[in-house]
Amino acid sequence: MAILVDKNSRVMVQGITGGTGQFHARRMIEYGTRVVGGTSPGKGGQKVMDCPVFDTVAECVKETGADVSVVFLPAVAVKEAAIEAIRAGIKFLVVIPEHIPIHDMLHIREEAVRGGTIVIGGNTAGIITPGQANLGIMPDIAFAPGRVGTVSRSGSITYYVADTLTRTGYGESTCVGLGGDPVLGSTFDEILLKFEADDQTKAVVMTGEIGGVYEERACTVIPKMKTPVLAMIGGIFAPPGKRMGHAGAIVEGKMGTAKEKLEMLADAGAHPCRTFKDIPETLKKLGV
Amino acid sequence: MRLYEFEGKSLFKKYEIPIPEGRTAAGINEVAQIVRELNKPVVIKAQVLTGGRGKAGGVKFADNADTAQSVAENLFNLKIKGYPVNLLLVEPKYEIKREFYIGVTIDRANYKLVVVASGEGGVDIEETAEKHPEKIVKKTLSVQQELYTFEALEIAKQIGITSEHLKTVARIIVNLYLMFKATDAKLVEINPLVLTADNQLIAADSRVSLDDDALFRHPELKAMGIEKRHEEGEMTSREKQATEWGIPYLDLDGDIGMFPGGAGFGIMGNDFIHYYGGQPANFMDSGGGPSPERIAKMLVLLDENPDVKAIFGARFGGISRCDDFAKGVVMFLKEHGLSKPIVMRMTGNMWQEGVKIFQDAKNENPELFEKVEFHGIETPIEEISRRAVELAGMKGGN
Repeated sequence: MAILVDKNSRVMVQGITGGTGQFHARRMIEYGTRVVGGTSPGKGGQKVMDCPVFDTVAECVKETGADVSVVFLPAVAVKEAAIEAIRAGIKFLVVIPEHIPIHDMLHIREEAVRGGTIVIGGNTAGIITPGQANLGIMPDIAFAPGRVGTVSRSGSITYYVADTLTRTGYGESTCVGLGGDPVLGSTFDEILLKFEADDQTKAVVMTGEIGGVYEERACTVIPKMKTPVLAMIGGIFAPPGKRMGHAGAIVEGKMGTAKEKLEMLADAGAHPCRTFKDIPETLKKLGV
Repeated sequence: MRLYEFEGKSLFKKYEIPIPEGRTAAGINEVAQIVRELNKPVVIKAQVLTGGRGKAGGVKFADNADTAQSVAENLFNLKIKGYPVNLLLVEPKYEIKREFYIGVTIDRANYKLVVVASGEGGVDIEETAEKHPEKIVKKTLSVQQELYTFEALEIAKQIGITSEHLKTVARIIVNLYLMFKATDAKLVEINPLVLTADNQLIAADSRVSLDDDALFRHPELKAMGIEKRHEEGEMTSREKQATEWGIPYLDLDGDIGMFPGGAGFGIMGNDFIHYYGGQPANFMDSGGGPSPERIAKMLVLLDENPDVKAIFGARFGGISRCDDFAKGVVMFLKEHGLSKPIVMRMTGNMWQEGVKIFQDAKNENPELFEKVEFHGIETPIEEISRRAVELAGMKGGN
């Protein structure tokens, strides 16, 4: 098993005829992901690498049975694209682009909850269930099938964590990129609960960062979980008041610093790690 | 993206929220001229993109044009948390009976908009919320909901607005909510909303923060001069250079030049250097799929920083491909040359192509690679961090 995507997921790509969409659709297919089609309004009837292109998501769903969609469109088009996918019955939506307006994300979340769709991103590297499906832009080289789940705000950190798990023989069940934007489609607690319900996942590594608001939500579910959670937070030594990188990563006023977040997670029962090297050491101690 | 007080107030005016009849001035003569025209005692306020202005002496009063001129001179020489004062807002001074707080913001963790109000304005609202939560009124709405007047009336009543002012304040609350939505705001605050001795309700100060990522759909804001701005106080010369080149970069106090990849590991990589006993000289987001030219410029920034003793480089190619990374590094070595030792690791998408680019360049010009220590996926990133700290220590003495 895995969470959210596996080899049976019927994946479509919104924006499949664009440069980025085509490039990554090809990589996804080469990995073995079951890509069944895509959309590009006005280009219905064309094909991209044997995948049929449709004008609307509803048509693609009807003709191909797609239940998962990956969005490769400019940020300005994401609100429309996401709501279209949710209303067409897509159950899991991966929003790759960054810099999506915050009010748009609030609308998308509202629609997603109503439609029963799980959304990850924006500004996510995607999601991978090693050996089964790779949705987004993640480099294959870091991943191998295994028993530890990961959930992270950042693509690069996901790669480092997976690389560490792969080289130490643990491998990964599923790796989820929550995304780096300030407002995200899903939160740490929601993904942790998915891992908790998955038999294959024996432990979860969550990595957050300064400025995020979803790390705190994890503290509400960690005490109830049987699956152990390992936690890392980036920005422990970041100078306060400086804006670093991700739009979300701002320490201002009384918002939780990285150090406070890590302490809070530890209090909730997570196992704090400082560098990636601590991950296999902790897993070993836990008998995973 | 924070707005200046006067910009926030011009938005208030557009949404029919009453503001003082003030004007901005960029010089002391202009200040005197405004005071003469107003012909009454004034308040003169430094326009800076930071809080804590009052405590830093950025708000002063004057009774006439002459005192206003000397007050303004002092204000223009002030620095508020490192921000120079280039503009003043001159407004009539009011006699105040009461101060209220009204704000709208986003509860990101719960995906809701929140209208916040209090009968005790003029102070740090976060402090009030912490010490006297009973004095704060909150109303939570979804982004798809409108705020009705009857709801705003309830809020106004709860913060102690008396009957004669209820309708006015309710309208202010509704309009503030409309403005919040229409401008793609992250935060709008009237703090304080004052009730003057002559029974007027006026937004005496504004705090407005908009979403940079939504500016593309607001030509009306651009027409008002509201555009993306730098909000971090004064930049160092390197930060200015980086901004010109479009590279997210911050100077820090250490001696290890950081070239760590995307923002996520860009932040965490700095922590790693600390764990191994070193100090990063900078933060840099070198991800997001930079071109070879930009990669080369990133290295120029680090190599030319006299404080940098060694450079830490990492690329885990996702959307930022290893071949582009290698091309950029080689371009830098050939065109600029490396004066500091560098240790780097490269793996991820297109790593084979990247390695080949390095090998070819090294075969051609081995002398360019004298200070370069190169690693692939077989070396953990912790080892690269440790080595960077070691290299910085070797060259620096202590």
